[in-house]
Amino acid sequence: MKQIPPEYYQIMEQLQAVDFVLVELTLYLDTHPDDLEAIKQFNHYVKERKTVKKAFESQFGPLMQYGHSYSGHPWNWNEPPWPWQV
Amino acid sequence: MFTLYKTWHPIASPFDPCKPILEKTFSTPPNLYIGFQPPNLPQFSPQEALRAGTLWKAFYDPYFNPFELAKGGNPR
Repeated sequence: MKQIPPEYYQIMEQLQAVDFVLVELTLYLDTHPDDLEAIKQFNHYVKERKTVKKAFESQFGPLMQYGHSYSGHPWNWNEPPWPWQV
Repeated sequence: MFTLYKTWHPIASPFDPCKPILEKTFSTPPNLYIGFQPPNLPQFSPQEALRAGTLWKAFYDPYFNPFELAKGGNPR
């Protein structure tokens, strides 16, 4: 994969946006444990993150290791691009 | 309502060797005034939130230092 296709950046940005929402909601819920609306929203975005991650990994390979991502064949977690090359 | 920026006026002594700075600005972000966050505040969309740096509109504070005035200015 010499050049990185533009979809890589689009899906990655979606993933980052969902991750940011999850981080913000986590911090919020730490101090508001019984806010049902926020918890519903949090679970909604957890589900959405799974789909975005699935879309990304089906196209560009695993994001994480040690069981956090499926692997392609052949074993390809160490394929470029690495985060600093993106 | 609160403002995101406050200013103060330092004393300029006649014996100052350099040109006195008459007005100085400091940032007062919203979290100083909101305190314990109420539930169900209006939110940004995920993409906007990623750019804005916060999920809730009430806490949005685009700090531009005076030298970045060209970038979007100093919202007073």
